[in-house]
Amino acid sequence: MDSILEVFNIGLFQNTLRTATPVILAAMGGLMTEQAGIMNIGMDGMILAGAFVAVAFSFAMSSAATGVIAAVLCGILIGLFFALFVVKFRSDEFIIGMALNTFAGGLTVYLLRSIFGVKGTFSSEGIVALPVVHIDFLDSIPLIGPLLNDNSIFVYVTWLLVFASWVFLYRTPCGFWMRAAGEHPRSLETAGISPEKMKFLASILCGILCGFAGAHLSLGYLTMFTEGMSNSRGFIAFACVIFGMANPPKVFLAALLFGFLDALGLRLQSVGIPSDLTSTLPYIATVLMLVYVVVATKNKTKKAARKQLEISEGLFNK
Amino acid sequence: MNKISESLKKNRTYLISLILSIMAALIIGGILMAVTGFDPFEGYGAMLNGVFGSARVFGNTLAKMLTLCLTGLAMTVGAKAGLFNVGGEGQLFLGGLAATMTGVALHGVSPAFALPLAFLAAAVTGGIYAWIPAVLKVKLNVSEVITTIMLNSVAIYVCTYLVNSSGPLATDDHGILGGTDAIPEAFRFAQIIPRSNLSTAIIYSAVIAFICWYLMQKTSIGLEMKVTGENERFSFFAGLPKEKIMIWSMVASGAICGLVGMFEVYGYQFRFQDSISNEFYYDGMLVAMIMNYNPIGIIIMSFFFAVIDIGAGAMEFSTGVSGEISDIIFAIIIFLMAAESGITKAVTDRLSQRRARQKLRKGDL
Amino acid sequence: MEDKQDIIVRFDNVSMQFPGVLANDNVSLEIKRGEVFALVGENGAGKSTLMNILYGLHRPTDGNVYVNGNRLEKFRPMESISLGVGMVHQHFMLVPSFTVAQNIVLSREPRKLKFFYDLKKADMQVRKLSEDYGLAVNPDAVVGELSVGIQQRVEILKTLYRGAEVLVLDEPTAVLTPQETEELFSVIRKIVKEKNMTVIIITHKLYEVMAISDRVGVMRRGKLVGVENTADVNERMLASMMVGREVIFDSIEKTGSPEDVMIEADDLYVADNRGLMAVKGISLNVKAGEILGIAAIEGNGQSELVEALTGMRPIEKGKLFINGKDAVGKGPRDVRKMGLAHIPEDRMSTGVALPSSVTDNMIIGKERKREFAVKGIHLKKASIVRYAEELSAKFDLRGAGTDTRVDSLSGGNMQKVVVAREFSLDTPVLVIAQPTRGVDVGAIEFIHKQIIEKRNSGCAILLVSADLDEVFRLSDRIITMYEGKITGQFRPDEIDKMEISYYMTGDRTRENRPVQQGGTQ
Repeated sequence: MDSILEVFNIGLFQNTLRTATPVILAAMGGLMTEQAGIMNIGMDGMILAGAFVAVAFSFAMSSAATGVIAAVLCGILIGLFFALFVVKFRSDEFIIGMALNTFAGGLTVYLLRSIFGVKGTFSSEGIVALPVVHIDFLDSIPLIGPLLNDNSIFVYVTWLLVFASWVFLYRTPCGFWMRAAGEHPRSLETAGISPEKMKFLASILCGILCGFAGAHLSLGYLTMFTEGMSNSRGFIAFACVIFGMANPPKVFLAALLFGFLDALGLRLQSVGIPSDLTSTLPYIATVLMLVYVVVATKNKTKKAARKQLEISEGLFNK
Repeated sequence: MNKISESLKKNRTYLISLILSIMAALIIGGILMAVTGFDPFEGYGAMLNGVFGSARVFGNTLAKMLTLCLTGLAMTVGAKAGLFNVGGEGQLFLGGLAATMTGVALHGVSPAFALPLAFLAAAVTGGIYAWIPAVLKVKLNVSEVITTIMLNSVAIYVCTYLVNSSGPLATDDHGILGGTDAIPEAFRFAQIIPRSNLSTAIIYSAVIAFICWYLMQKTSIGLEMKVTGENERFSFFAGLPKEKIMIWSMVASGAICGLVGMFEVYGYQFRFQDSISNEFYYDGMLVAMIMNYNPIGIIIMSFFFAVIDIGAGAMEFSTGVSGEISDIIFAIIIFLMAAESGITKAVTDRLSQRRARQKLRKGDL
Repeated sequence: MEDKQDIIVRFDNVSMQFPGVLANDNVSLEIKRGEVFALVGENGAGKSTLMNILYGLHRPTDGNVYVNGNRLEKFRPMESISLGVGMVHQHFMLVPSFTVAQNIVLSREPRKLKFFYDLKKADMQVRKLSEDYGLAVNPDAVVGELSVGIQQRVEILKTLYRGAEVLVLDEPTAVLTPQETEELFSVIRKIVKEKNMTVIIITHKLYEVMAISDRVGVMRRGKLVGVENTADVNERMLASMMVGREVIFDSIEKTGSPEDVMIEADDLYVADNRGLMAVKGISLNVKAGEILGIAAIEGNGQSELVEALTGMRPIEKGKLFINGKDAVGKGPRDVRKMGLAHIPEDRMSTGVALPSSVTDNMIIGKERKREFAVKGIHLKKASIVRYAEELSAKFDLRGAGTDTRVDSLSGGNMQKVVVAREFSLDTPVLVIAQPTRGVDVGAIEFIHKQIIEKRNSGCAILLVSADLDEVFRLSDRIITMYEGKITGQFRPDEIDKMEISYYMTGDRTRENRPVQQGGTQ
């Protein structure tokens, strides 16, 4: 009993914020493409590439900022590349996404070995981590204070980005165009705006956000690059997008939930549950969530039908 | 004969693009080698030597090709009925483990009795693991693409837990390496080329492929599968048992993946380790997709990818070029082939518009 | 009118080549400012293509287009819009989840702080626009929840917001009731008269041409075959120009009298996809040897009713017997076993497997029959092909082999594949929805004859059609539906088209017909 209570401490929630951050970032990117009507299964590769480039440039230039900028530029390139195939050449989104994952996996490992001459993991004193933000004021608040304090700068940036994504999609003309491009591209086209351009933009935004996610992964707390370190986070982010119906606040909550499960898994290891088993938690949760969403919406329509029936029966019985 | 030449003609542009894509990918791979300080000619030479240099390595290449063909077939069986089984990797792990444990448990029993049971264990385990996402898709419309990807991770983690050094199914005498006990020698498939990975699994695979081909091409079941995959609503409207067709296709796909896992163990690995497959399924799946689920295409492309994959391993060993170059070349081919129809269409459209314009202008005169 | 009318739109030797089809063949045409110009022709004659070129959706293979004297260069909608062209497409170009105002201002949103969308201002502008032109809409309503007629109004406002001088309407009345059509026409007259707009209206309904247009252009197989002043022609002349021959629809002889009840529905309730009740307590029966026609405007529950009768949509409440057997809670598989065949309203999405061949599409439903498969499994390819060839001949599938992919067939041929398959199942009950939608004149005649033949041979037929002519021509009895309820039941000879439209729009129900007053709901 004690050990169960021990699991739920402040560290768990701190870890939640940390592990959720890359997923939130990638999911914000994924919801852009989703809103623009592209099924983006290639986020995992985008994250991986971002993580590698961030580490490489942070190491080479001894600057975390350079690493992040490089990751973002890399994201833009990948986003352009992805859109070129999916939008311009009308290739199958699924195939391109999967191939992007394979490509990023192969290329990062190849470069890791060719440039740094290591297998598996590259870590060095020379890699500069992202700064950790400490706000003195927060120390005075119990519980919440330590939770919100001393996080990597990206944690805070991420929250801002969630809000910015919502503003962009629901309060700017461009966001409306992007949503129209996904929901009814012909109506946008006949209004004189190219849906293809909007899809390109969405894809590039997704690349940038996944670049951030990768940079946070490799420079946030660990400062290293490991082969395949994205570890299906791109897929989890994709599931969050579906689960949150591509709406930024909802997707954010979904991603936090997965961060929580991830962190919970880590904590459970400390009480003796094998790590391989606790690692399955977020994946199983994803499946259960998707089932829940579908069943819930189904029940809702069913309920609506029943209610309607009662109303019209009431009318007739009168 | 006539039919073949006809279909060749129809597929000529496709074949040309395929060859061009492969060449482009090899050139890009070569440039990458050169940029990172290796001699591409030496690299590709080592690759060819690593594939055709001896009967043994060629056998390994064929064994790899077999795996790709079978996983591609598994993808095809699901996709024909409209379901994307991205979860073959997990089904492969679980099927392989089930077959291995059956083999280990039946130590001393006659192979004539034990082997069929192992086949059954692999197929049923893989099938059941595919049944879950299939039912979720068909009954609740939960995207099978995401669920199968998620279930992959779950299966791989669980298998890793079961067979790693302290796991409940790990062998006692193998120490830190982990993995299960080896299967009894009597159950192991005979090697067709000595010391290579090529075993009699090839015969079993051929039988599986024939059964699938027959069912899909020659029977009412195959026809019903096809129209269901093409238009689910039509299938429902026409009174076909749509749900049954979709679920069983996915189960069949999972069963084939389970058998691939078994063949890996019974063919040459002989014990189940968490390294049983390195995303073999994804490779086969992509091969099937870019070849439009065409059986001949899958076989040819599988061979090519096997050459690159096995060759890259040899290249790494002899020249130091990282073997991951195979993934890169592989991905580039897929990019180009996936864009093939789009690029070809853009080019031919422009050409045909120009031609039509010239024709119309001439008509005016 | 002015002495020298200026030309607002000019097509100069325009040709458009699509893969395999010459959609426009050297078309030259001038449209005058302030006129209503009707463009008529059969399906596939190239009317929509020509207008899509004007709107910048296609770049013509050859030729030039001028608007207000400016030559179109880019053939992008943005260019045409800025030159004053507005178009209302047959399939509306509206984003369903956006509001009316958001749709109208799309791509020209009012902004605040340069970057942000001024939602309030958009509302105001739309409100003002709607008052200016007398086209009432609620700017805050979500478009997906509006009726077709209102959506069309939104489309027109959308073009006016963009400052259109030329308004192109592509088949605007196809989805409207006679009254809504009349309303639309008065809007057209008003904007032409008061705002000096030019209207080009694409249609194939000739009486509408006579009612609204000043001039009319006739297209046939991509060519413009004639331009006339409407006052100088009549419907018959236009019809013969359209098809290249005189068309006379023969009346088809009906024989026999209705017998046993084959479809019996009692107090049916059916929900739509959103869970809203679309069919509210419908009771009807169809006897062997009769055709019951359902006349209703799209979206009044007739689609859901058809799907419920054929097992494709669950029944929330009520009783249903097909051929005497209880069909509540049964799927299409079971309902078909009871002896029902079904021609769906949307053949593309429901009636065929597009990538499959004609043969495969025709054999489905019989693929396990003994004559086509050994033990129901191993297909006898030769006899299947022979069967498909027989059906193709019988159902007059012209210009297509049995191994042709269905997605390369014309609308008429595709429908014939569906009709051939369903009719050859030889069931005692047929449910037919929109049998001739998007089908050319020749095929319409053929399909109608097949339906009557089925009726005469004792089939019980339920027919749903948006085409009132079709309902009147084929039905023995007609039921009108409005908002999920039956509003009247008639014999085709006791009511005319104008009167029946009152029942279709809920203005009248059987109960409050002048003869028998009483009853409210």
